[in-house]
Amino acid sequence: MRRLGGEVWFGLILLTLCSAVAVLAPVLAPYDPHAFSGQPLERPSRAHPLGTNDVGQDILSELLYGARVSLIVALAAGSGTVLLGLLVGGMAGYAGGWLDQALMRLVDGMMSLPRLPLLILFATFLGSGLPQTIAIISLLFWPATARVVRAQVQSVRQRGYVRMARQFGAGHPYVFLRHILPAIGPLVAYGLVTSAGHAVAMEAGLAFLGLGDPLVKSWGLMMRFALNLPGLFLTDRWLWWLLPPALSVTLLILALTFIGIGMERNLNPRLARRWR
Amino acid sequence: MGTGHRTLVYLLTFWVILTLNFLLPRLLPGDPLAALLDPSSSDYVYDPEVRAALAAYYGLDRPLPEQYGRYLLGILTGDLGRSIRLNRPVAELVAGHLPWTLLLVGTALLLSSGLALLAGTESAWRRGSWADRGLVTAGILLANVPVYFVGMMLLLLFGARLRWLPLAGGRTPFAQYPSALAAALDIGHHLILPALTLTLAMVGAKFLLVRNATVNMLGEDFMLVARAKGLPEGRLKWGHALRNALLPFVAHLAAHTGMAVTGAVFIEALFSYPGMGRLIFESVTARDYPVIQGAFLVVSAVVLTANFLADIINLHLDPRLRERGVER
Repeated sequence: MRRLGGEVWFGLILLTLCSAVAVLAPVLAPYDPHAFSGQPLERPSRAHPLGTNDVGQDILSELLYGARVSLIVALAAGSGTVLLGLLVGGMAGYAGGWLDQALMRLVDGMMSLPRLPLLILFATFLGSGLPQTIAIISLLFWPATARVVRAQVQSVRQRGYVRMARQFGAGHPYVFLRHILPAIGPLVAYGLVTSAGHAVAMEAGLAFLGLGDPLVKSWGLMMRFALNLPGLFLTDRWLWWLLPPALSVTLLILALTFIGIGMERNLNPRLARRWR
Repeated sequence: MGTGHRTLVYLLTFWVILTLNFLLPRLLPGDPLAALLDPSSSDYVYDPEVRAALAAYYGLDRPLPEQYGRYLLGILTGDLGRSIRLNRPVAELVAGHLPWTLLLVGTALLLSSGLALLAGTESAWRRGSWADRGLVTAGILLANVPVYFVGMMLLLLFGARLRWLPLAGGRTPFAQYPSALAAALDIGHHLILPALTLTLAMVGAKFLLVRNATVNMLGEDFMLVARAKGLPEGRLKWGHALRNALLPFVAHLAAHTGMAVTGAVFIEALFSYPGMGRLIFESVTARDYPVIQGAFLVVSAVVLTANFLADIINLHLDPRLRERGVER
């Protein structure tokens, strides 16, 4: 592996920090995020370092627990997207022929559908629980991964050692698991990181639009409640209520993006030169 | 693939959208549409006039194919049902909101394209310099930061801190304009912040695209020939490098339009800008299904139309596409 760039370190450190906060949330948070631990709309004080929200819940505790939601979505929706993409793209690339044609038509069709309106429609009628959100994001974002995976599988399948293995009588499942999968491994890892970033942005966006789980304290939901307060911007309340969750989502997305950029460079050295 | 083939593909895509919109609420468990008319449900619509209109529009007691036929016929005649929250035809609501979104998206697309073409070419021309590195970093940041974050920062800075620009809305409420010019100025004044947000949200990705395409052109033989002919720097840069880099730029216009509409939905929710995004935002809160469905259809149609137009432009600009079909 080549030397890691500065931005990859930045991403890794942020992601580690975020994971630590998510795991340690019960230890770090001063209150239960659902408990009415203060008066509504308190200003920051020693008891509530980031004040309280409109119903008197501690904002710092909400923020710390929010890291859990975002990371769960990143992991679950990211893997869901990649697994679907791997399944369809792998099948298309490996099988070739009419199956490849049919699957790629499906991918083309799905890529041309307007994604956010569909996301909103699905979220409206499927319900707004966290599992539904994760399923919807995975269902709508897999085609891009499938396309990349298919191209790579197609090229790996033609390589000498893979054809040799087939000649020696290796079955399709064996060849796929033993030869193809390792060869596309880095690509899959890269897909996981970028899909995770998109998933975090989409979950927060959906919650922000009011289509998230109203009972799960996520960063997007915090932003929504903050913005729902009439005249939020007329006082400096946004400073400790709106800004922290918005900044947290953004930093998590940037962390994933930077890690992705680093991985992309390792995958494609030609690209590295282009960016210099 | 010619124009005819493209038209067919887009019509097919739109039909899929129409059908999804019809089937989704009807096939899911706990039919949300039936709940509107069911007195024991929490979603029951109490206003008898609206309830009657909904019952007539959805026709849930009829067989599914007949419902589907009536649904398609309704859309052909511009009937999108009736809003539960506002007791007004959905088509009327959409007609009132759509122009604002088109204004916002159009302005931002123009601004971000212009900026990206200028900065992208300059950056590619001086690749490796500090200016280029700075611009690339800024481009990567802008392309990845969520649009609502950009919007919040601008809102806080210009709206709340400096108080230069209005915080919300598409125009001053209840304003009586003495002239058309005054009206345009007021609308323009309210447009600045949302349009700036959307421009910033889109310029990053576009800039990176133009820069990379131009950098790729710089190594081409025709650039060497042009330089050897002794053409002036400006001609080389704008007339040869950028001109050829325009093709991938136009090819991505379709994807960028979709991105812009997505961004606009969030921005309108944030700035209370009276477009389609705001309509969706408010309808989601009230579970106003007919409006959400109608808005979904119209926004999808707008995105598909924009993609179609971009495809056609592309086809005319690049004769290679007409001959060989699209290389993916």
